[in-house]
Amino acid sequence: MNKTTIISLGFLLVMGVFPFFADSAWLAVGTTFLVFSVVAFSQDIILGRAGAFHMGHAAFFGLGAYTTAILNTHFGWPILATWAPAVIIPMVVALITTAPIIHLRGDYLLVTTIGINIIFLQVLENDLFGITGGPNGIFGIDVVKIFGYELFEQIHMYFMAFILLGITLFIMKTLDGSKFGRAMFYINKDDVAAQSMGIDLRYYKLYAFAIGAGLAGAAGSMFAVQYSAVSPEAFDVLQSIMFFTIVLVGGSASLPGVLLGTFVMFVLPEIFREFETARYLVFGLAMILTMILRPRGIWPAKFGNIPAFLKKGKK
Amino acid sequence: MSQYLLEIKNVSKFFSGLTAIDALNLKVKKGQIYGIIGPNGAGKTTLFNCITGIYTPEEGEILWHGKDIKGTAPHKIAGLGILRTFQTIRLFAEMSVAENIMSGRHIKSKQKWYNGIIPTPAYYKDEKYNWGKVGEYMELFGLSEYATTPAGDLSYGVQRKIEMARALAAEPELLILDEPAAGLNENETKELADIIKKVQAMGVTIMMIEHDMDMIMSLCEYMTVINFGAWICDGVAADVQDNPAVIEAYIGSEDEDE
Repeated sequence: MNKTTIISLGFLLVMGVFPFFADSAWLAVGTTFLVFSVVAFSQDIILGRAGAFHMGHAAFFGLGAYTTAILNTHFGWPILATWAPAVIIPMVVALITTAPIIHLRGDYLLVTTIGINIIFLQVLENDLFGITGGPNGIFGIDVVKIFGYELFEQIHMYFMAFILLGITLFIMKTLDGSKFGRAMFYINKDDVAAQSMGIDLRYYKLYAFAIGAGLAGAAGSMFAVQYSAVSPEAFDVLQSIMFFTIVLVGGSASLPGVLLGTFVMFVLPEIFREFETARYLVFGLAMILTMILRPRGIWPAKFGNIPAFLKKGKK
Repeated sequence: MSQYLLEIKNVSKFFSGLTAIDALNLKVKKGQIYGIIGPNGAGKTTLFNCITGIYTPEEGEILWHGKDIKGTAPHKIAGLGILRTFQTIRLFAEMSVAENIMSGRHIKSKQKWYNGIIPTPAYYKDEKYNWGKVGEYMELFGLSEYATTPAGDLSYGVQRKIEMARALAAEPELLILDEPAAGLNENETKELADIIKKVQAMGVTIMMIEHDMDMIMSLCEYMTVINFGAWICDGVAADVQDNPAVIEAYIGSEDEDE
């Protein structure tokens, strides 16, 4: 077992017992933390691994949420049945929208992905096909029904989000131990060298976007069910900036880093709720200081994740 | 099937009116160590960039096993069995030596598209096999002790070795070395020459650019001299050394280093 696996399991253990000590308000905070962790990890696949400056991730998160909301409220699909489309639709949209821009570098890609997010928000707010509910969004989303049981309590929501995070961690572990995850790192570190080693930049960047969007969509679906409502402002560019920041502040491609980043960005504001908006001042400062003092994040990623039989001699 | 592994036929490359390569011809036989020499700015690296798909030459043909590969994307060139190193070392500096060499196994890995998220028994087997190969190449280049060390933390000489090990891990037919001895001290250069011979003995054809004349004259079986992108002469070491045109090209241009 390597360090990442131990940290993942330890984290899952803590989060697994947390609901038995928390009241319902904290349970809701915990659920949101789990959901946002999934989104942050999916952003990390695109930004931290493939190194694509993607600042429109809230669009894919929102696409998953709205897919579940629309299919459930307008077409009467049970929530369970909306899960697959809530993953697949963001994936397909991500592939279609990023394929023409995937070759763009850094800042150029950043601007175009912000554009994607803005267009998505416009579609929602203008109620384009008469199904998004306009600026108010969609209310009255069902709860998950399984084997005749209704999973409506907060603790149900919590454990669904918990399972989703578990699946996400498993996917991240598989990705990092595969040629796909490594190819993303190679492209990130030196794209010319990666290319000359036979790595198709376009394919692996799109792969990152597809997986990232799919996971974000799953988190979105969970988010819609948790609040039984969706509205556009939860998926605006500011949210995308938050996900982007979580990864950079926490530590790109670092599993504990991204968790820490999510905690700092989403849970701390809840803890310091009484300070109202003044708390955001602290955040702004924290973001600035982190980037100056720890440019690779609070908990930077460590490479050298290789099989034990290759580790000999000096460490 | 052509008797040559690689043929450059009348290749020209222009950069906004400037002629970087001028109707160049050369033929590389299988198993050869082929040298490309010439003064700085002669177009040697441009030629390598044309072969490896980074540039597309405007004119001529690049024949690989008799088939024109001009304009093929760089990642596909690697898939054909042409791997390269860079004049300015390009390693994945923050990643460990083992991970760097593993990038060479990328094109040899048989993982399916879904293996990025779903592990299968074949995926575990593939991973184990390829890491095993990485171990073999680290052994071969004496890099085992650095397996977990970030490549960027190591000395220049070691980094050169990692870059070659990485390219070799892809099991190329043709290895293109762009100034492999640049920045190395005398001992390291000697060691490098031995490694290059070892690589040739493994059945890999080698093309190299080098300024270290002792090294190139002792290693290369055949060489082409170019200047201002154009052919000056080719032949075995002795012929080239005595050729007045070559001497003139070198003495006539004492540029500083690139």
